Amino acid sequence: MNPSPARIAARVLEALKEGERIYTAVVTDAADTSMIGRRWWLSGRLHGGTLGSPSLDGEVAAAVTALFPPRESRGALSRDFEYGEGAGAATAKVYIELHGPPARMVIVGAGHIAIPLCRVCAMLGLRVVVLDDRPEFAAPGRFPEAAAVRMIDFRDPFADTRLDPHDHVVLVTRGHSFDYECLVRLLRMPGPPGYIGMIGSRRRVRATHEQLARDGFTSDQMKLVRAPVGLDLGGQTPVEIAVSVAAEVIMFHSRGTGIPLVDKERVVERFFGGRGGGGPAPARTRESYGGPGPGPRTKKEQP
Amino acid sequence: MSEKQLLARLASLEEPAILATIVSSKGSTPRKTGARMLIGKSGVIAGTVGGGCGEGEVIEAAMKLFDGAPPRTVRVDLTDDFTSWSPAVCGGIMNIFIERANPARFDDP
Repeated sequence: MNPSPARIAARVLEALKEGERIYTAVVTDAADTSMIGRRWWLSGRLHGGTLGSPSLDGEVAAAVTALFPPRESRGALSRDFEYGEGAGAATAKVYIELHGPPARMVIVGAGHIAIPLCRVCAMLGLRVVVLDDRPEFAAPGRFPEAAAVRMIDFRDPFADTRLDPHDHVVLVTRGHSFDYECLVRLLRMPGPPGYIGMIGSRRRVRATHEQLARDGFTSDQMKLVRAPVGLDLGGQTPVEIAVSVAAEVIMFHSRGTGIPLVDKERVVERFFGGRGGGGPAPARTRESYGGPGPGPRTKKEQP
Repeated sequence: MSEKQLLARLASLEEPAILATIVSSKGSTPRKTGARMLIGKSGVIAGTVGGGCGEGEVIEAAMKLFDGAPPRTVRVDLTDDFTSWSPAVCGGIMNIFIERANPARFDDP
């Protein structure tokens, strides 16, 4: 019996409700045409259906974890698989999907940056958790899009928030010493969150790293911290900073470069003369991105 | 309609439908691999694989599955008429797998 796509969809929704990863697969092409449309799924140690050959099921089961990076919660791709042995060896095209619980964004510090950051991260589909030690800031009413808003004690900020490598953490507390306390906790975790960002000027970031080095952290550990967090968009307001952080999160997941597409694709240069086809993109200056605005802003350190 | 809503719609089907999924794509296409559309006997129920002529082609092929045609991959080439300025012209190729989706209580034989 071949589970129908409806049954597979129900199983996926069940897995997501339980917070588990599930892989689903369907044969889209095979020499043995009776296999086309055979479906199979795998979630932890549970599985169901078959792709029409136990050998093919085994090949796909062995491949799925490597096909999708562990930090990703969603994926879809097609691959050719060889299966069977000797005279029975054959190839099948299999379409595989990964569905996982949405990744989490933990914002530490419920101040003025946290509000737009919570909103834009929720729009990206992240489950947002906001932490602060001040009751008037850690108020659910301030963060309608958050999955949770928690009061914490900075002596043990993640006591009620268990973190794993799929998580994102952005430190935007009111004080650098609080950011530092969080950072030390995060870096000492056996499986630290995959994305750790901290806001700050170059000077403050440098001071943090000096302190980390004094406290015995290695440069490999220090490299886990994205600080200053965000892409260089030149923005300064809380909303602009939130967009810059969110843009870096997207880039982190999509393996983007962060450079403007106009420079990456260079359609005019390639196809309409100018600089010709080859060679690296010409470096744009801060001024050339200025657009019609009021011109370059004066440089100001982030608070 | 979000992906989750489409999954919920699919999971709660009452009548047989055809599920169309972009299983691979190359170049610039309106929707990417993993995008889905659910098609009923009288037309699209939910979702989209990009709209335009390409989608029409998929719906036409899907209708044949209601009559017992086997599941198959429909190749939609959006590179053809580059100058038409139709919203469907993006310059890419999509492979869309179409398969029969019976309500969950009736699994396939």
